[in-house]
Amino acid sequence: METRAEEILKGFQVYPFTLFLEFFLIFSCSNWICLKDADGGTVFWQGSDDLSLPDVEHQAKVPKNILQCRAVSREFNFSSKESMEKFRLEQKVLFKGRCLEEWYFEFGFVMADSTNTWQSVMEAAPESQMMPASVLK
Amino acid sequence: MGLLSILRKLRSSPEKELRLLLLGLDNAGKTTILKMLAAEDINHITPTAGFNIKSVIADGFKLNVWDIGGQRKIRPYWKNYFENTDILIYVVDSADKKRLEETGIELYELLGDEKLQAIPLLVYANKQDLPNSLPASDLAQALGLPTIKDRAWQIQSCVAIQGTGVKEGMEWACKTIKKK
Repeated sequence: METRAEEILKGFQVYPFTLFLEFFLIFSCSNWICLKDADGGTVFWQGSDDLSLPDVEHQAKVPKNILQCRAVSREFNFSSKESMEKFRLEQKVLFKGRCLEEWYFEFGFVMADSTNTWQSVMEAAPESQMMPASVLK
Repeated sequence: MGLLSILRKLRSSPEKELRLLLLGLDNAGKTTILKMLAAEDINHITPTAGFNIKSVIADGFKLNVWDIGGQRKIRPYWKNYFENTDILIYVVDSADKKRLEETGIELYELLGDEKLQAIPLLVYANKQDLPNSLPASDLAQALGLPTIKDRAWQIQSCVAIQGTGVKEGMEWACKTIKKK
């Protein structure tokens, strides 16, 4: 028998974001995730796989030119049948097995039978601090 | 005025992470205001059955705006979202005179909560374009805002669907956060 924590820790990957979602197993469905240019609204990637499947690695192929955006918007829409007390989302950016970046966002309470969205806009780092797209090959 | 520009204005404030909470009765226009702030399409807004959050991150500085659904059955859950709020934004449909009393009761319930104690209050008197809408000054009187002494407050008339007034309200919010 796996522990609850082990079950939760089974992450899934949404390139270039690796997300580990706590309590994801009790989601009835995760509706969609979308990455777009925060300025023009051009959608780079949108996925509506059932992200609640814990055993499956989810992949998204995002065009390189997303790296030229001044700011990128990521939208995450999810529904939950059950209420959750302390829901949080963690992100790890992995590159060749090394963790380059890590953060989490705490939603806190999630209502039963709710549909929720979280959009975050990330401004690009100054060019001098950016990893060139060419290394991603 | 996008969320990024609001964030830029706030950069000199002492806190690293700011939380704005949008509340109000259902159909007041909370999600429309949120989408207007993010310069997004407002054509397909449906009643919020949960929350919508917009976060902006730049230079290690974060702004999170929380819009929580206003339907009667989910209002009891509002209190789960009070913690660490920097500004309370209360949205009122100025033309919904039938529910003026109800919106007032909900507002005072919020103001009486310990977690929102002394938190500045911005009231958007929304839907000013509708016939029979109450002007912001009348709405302020009807809601008894001038009697509020325990926090900074401001009422701002707006037409969220056109974006008018939204920016002005946020400017007040920015100024007030900086003063804290």
